[in-house]
Amino acid sequence: MANITFPYPYPEHLGIMMPEIILAVLAMALLLGDLCVPKEKKQWVAWAAVATCIVTLIALLQIPTAPAYTTFYGYFVLDDFAAYGKVLLLAATILGIFLSMDYMKDEVNIGEYYVLMLFALLGMMFMVSANNFVLLYLGLELMALSLYVLVAYQRDVLRSSEAALKYFILGSLSSGMLLYGLSFIYGVTGSFMFDGIAEGLAQAGSSSNIAVLLGMMFIIAGLSFKVSIAPFHMWTPDTYEGAPTPVTAFMSVAPKVAGFIIFIRVLADAFPSLQQEYTSVLIVLAILTIGVGNVAAIAQRNIKRMLAYSTVGHVGFVLLGLIAATQEGYSAALVYLTIYLFMNIGVFAIVILMRRDGIQGELLDDFAGLAKVRPGYALAMGLLLFSLAGIPFLAGFWAKFAVLTAVIDAGHIWLAVYAIVFSVVGCFYYLRLIKYMYFDDERVVFAFHESPVMQATIISTTLAVVVFGLYPAPVLAVCASVVTMF
Amino acid sequence: MEALNNAMNFPILSLSIFLPLLGAVFIWLFVKNDQAIRWTALVISMATFLVTISLVCMFDTTTAHMQFEEVNHWIPAFNIYYRLGIDGISMPFVVLTSLLTVICVVSAWQCIQTRVKEYMIAFLVLETTLIGVFSAMDAVLFYFFWEAMLIPMYLIIGIWGGKNRVYATLKFFLYTLAGSLLMLIALIAMYFKSGGDSFSLLHFMDYAFDFEWQFWIWIAFFAAFAVKVPMWPVHTWLPDAHTEAPTAGSVILAGILLKMGAYGFLRFSLPMLPDASQYFVPLMVGLSLIAIIYISLVALMQTDMKRLIAYSSIAHMGFVTLGTFMFTQQAVEGAVINMISHGFVAAALFLCVGVLYDRMHTREIAAYGGVANVMPVFAGVMMLFAMANVALPGTSSFIGEIMVLIGTFGATPSPYLTVSTQWIAVAAATSVVLSACYTLWMYKRVMMGNIVHDEVKTMPDLNRREFMFFLPLIGLVLWLGFYPAPVLDVLHVSVTHLIEQATSSKLDAAAILAAEHVMPHAATH
Repeated sequence: MANITFPYPYPEHLGIMMPEIILAVLAMALLLGDLCVPKEKKQWVAWAAVATCIVTLIALLQIPTAPAYTTFYGYFVLDDFAAYGKVLLLAATILGIFLSMDYMKDEVNIGEYYVLMLFALLGMMFMVSANNFVLLYLGLELMALSLYVLVAYQRDVLRSSEAALKYFILGSLSSGMLLYGLSFIYGVTGSFMFDGIAEGLAQAGSSSNIAVLLGMMFIIAGLSFKVSIAPFHMWTPDTYEGAPTPVTAFMSVAPKVAGFIIFIRVLADAFPSLQQEYTSVLIVLAILTIGVGNVAAIAQRNIKRMLAYSTVGHVGFVLLGLIAATQEGYSAALVYLTIYLFMNIGVFAIVILMRRDGIQGELLDDFAGLAKVRPGYALAMGLLLFSLAGIPFLAGFWAKFAVLTAVIDAGHIWLAVYAIVFSVVGCFYYLRLIKYMYFDDERVVFAFHESPVMQATIISTTLAVVVFGLYPAPVLAVCASVVTMF
Repeated sequence: MEALNNAMNFPILSLSIFLPLLGAVFIWLFVKNDQAIRWTALVISMATFLVTISLVCMFDTTTAHMQFEEVNHWIPAFNIYYRLGIDGISMPFVVLTSLLTVICVVSAWQCIQTRVKEYMIAFLVLETTLIGVFSAMDAVLFYFFWEAMLIPMYLIIGIWGGKNRVYATLKFFLYTLAGSLLMLIALIAMYFKSGGDSFSLLHFMDYAFDFEWQFWIWIAFFAAFAVKVPMWPVHTWLPDAHTEAPTAGSVILAGILLKMGAYGFLRFSLPMLPDASQYFVPLMVGLSLIAIIYISLVALMQTDMKRLIAYSSIAHMGFVTLGTFMFTQQAVEGAVINMISHGFVAAALFLCVGVLYDRMHTREIAAYGGVANVMPVFAGVMMLFAMANVALPGTSSFIGEIMVLIGTFGATPSPYLTVSTQWIAVAAATSVVLSACYTLWMYKRVMMGNIVHDEVKTMPDLNRREFMFFLPLIGLVLWLGFYPAPVLDVLHVSVTHLIEQATSSKLDAAAILAAEHVMPHAATH
């Protein structure tokens, strides 16, 4: 890519990395500052972490991204696509911190928790800006290591430790696969750069070369682990169930956003000559993912496990956008991720509210009669669930509409039919939860751990889902405008 | 004249769609007391009714063009517009919806005592989506309302329904959703096939799809509409949903929701896919006759009053689908009249059952007997609607059924149909006998004879409020039965236009299009 002189106040080269630099410095400062904060005032750390995110966001928005800027010899790229991804990640992190504040105060009151979230964010921001497999790997590992610790945060709780161990072992395996695949690709093309690989593959003209195909498959498998694509989703339900609920909420959105954005970049930038091959792989993966996610969710009695499988199902839908492999497809995948972020954070916020001493409020039964006790929360949850099910007038409908449109335009009508058949199946378990809330009588005494922050999170996510549902044009337009470089 | 023009520019359709929604938000936010909620809901639904009446007054019966059109940007990324308009076929349903909503609100006055607020909100939101379906002229907007309707209906059956309500409401939701989603895929496919620049229904009607496309799209539409009508064999959700729904829920289900399916055939399948529609005439005739004959026999054997009326609804809708696919003026107009009439009659019969249920809390036919002795006024009212269900001359159903039969008798709908339409008409006419059997037999067992159950002796007759919501229905059934000309006037031009669309093949134009498409394509190779 062309060497561009950088226009804005930051120094050249480092300039476009300024948001990451600011985030890293502030996060480390916060790690030290946390030592001075007394135990009962750990909320301050949380607010400082939110402030850090906001400062990072402002720094990010200062950079005009219209053409793609690269730095560090092209390793790091900042374009509209990456910038939009970073905005989503920052939003997810801020909402994730909001969800954690009360929960952490009640459970384990440690300030480093928020710092780890910031480090995970940092890793993900590097991921979405990676233009090179080495940087991608570094970002991925920074994210993953921070998440392993976050999952294990309630170290006295057996479930939490077990979840973390599973996540760690399978996560390491997937990283290994990614590196293994990378070694093949490097062997054939001699480059770690995405464009270098594409060039090398084009020169070699070796789309049938078994090493290239093998390498690409391993890279796809490694990335699939991170975004819970079946059959690499096995860790998801256990980890979601065992992790502290706010961490589950965070994990269910942010790594998916980062993972898919880099997935798109890898496929479109590094393997354009293998489009036919990777499309057929992705079609198989999508069929599995949509099927497994929606069917397995029906059997779950624990809402966190249910939402884990529902995530798998939604990931399958996002994958449809990648299969289309067109601008419309990538933009649809972004639309889906954006809307999914708000829906899922909102749903988890209500799950977190429902916890009681000793019991986590995690069984479907625990929601029985919610509409009578707290009509407000039940309404929010109902709207969010209908949105997850993809019913209009809620945003989830447009997410599905966008990916279906893209996949039909790309000529895969049967895949669209398959997807909607399973989305009807998927509807069942969302409706069942609504049934518990609205049609059943209350069975257990509700004790809510309410706070203004939680309420604000619930109201804002629900409102976003309703407003996007009635008037989705801005989201669709923004997502369409940021994928123009593919 | 200027005043009239101003009136035409005023977005009346939007007002009638969003007035109930705004009312629902108002009730949600500001009204606390149950009685106040009832009154507010009544005022809002009456106001909406008056707005739709103004549509009737300003309606121009001399043109088949869409009237009261509104076009606004909505989602430019997919060329989706907020596009509204009604013609003679959709206008009666808009009015029917707003009328039945008023009746639903009134009928719930006493029998709904729990969660009144949610109930009224659900019905007002439902009204918004239903009017939206009938006035949407953009395919995505249509689908948006079509599917959004599931949310309030799911809650209405699930919260205020009978014992087996959860099963019934889930079945209703999933059946309908499965069919509708196929329609969504078909709509998106049509959008790309027709150039990818508009979702307008008129655009789809004009575009010449070749036969293969028409075939598959027709099947996808059929999945959506047949479930909604419902046609045998995908009708099984309806008896469950009807039986478990609260009275007003059944009224809206029978009165409006079933018509959405038949309206879909009229608005989508016939004008957009004329060749496939002809091709599938034998299928539609077969399924309609099964509905008319077999489902009538099933209705005969029911012991639950609501279930019986539910099956009778399916049988009557068989008449509607039969008439629709005969492609003659009388048959199609008869089908629409039948839909409107069934909206009054089935709604009234469900209200009658509701009246009995409020007193005895059972829907079993065997639990009654001799009710006429204690409720003479009610017996008279129910007699009228029972007769209307049988299609006795002088009632609205008679007009509808006789028109469908006449229209069927001389029709030549399709070269694919090998059976003479005379025989089809004869088979369909058995419905007159069968509907008399199940309706009158039920009436006899419930109302006539001596009182055998002591509880029946204490049943009070209709009170003034109950009589009030029957009164407009009685009037309408008789008016349409004796003097249907005004409604036929409204229908006439639009139906003529529809039949013209439905009987002119698109295949020649499609062949020309295909040839044009191939030429530049070939040049690039």
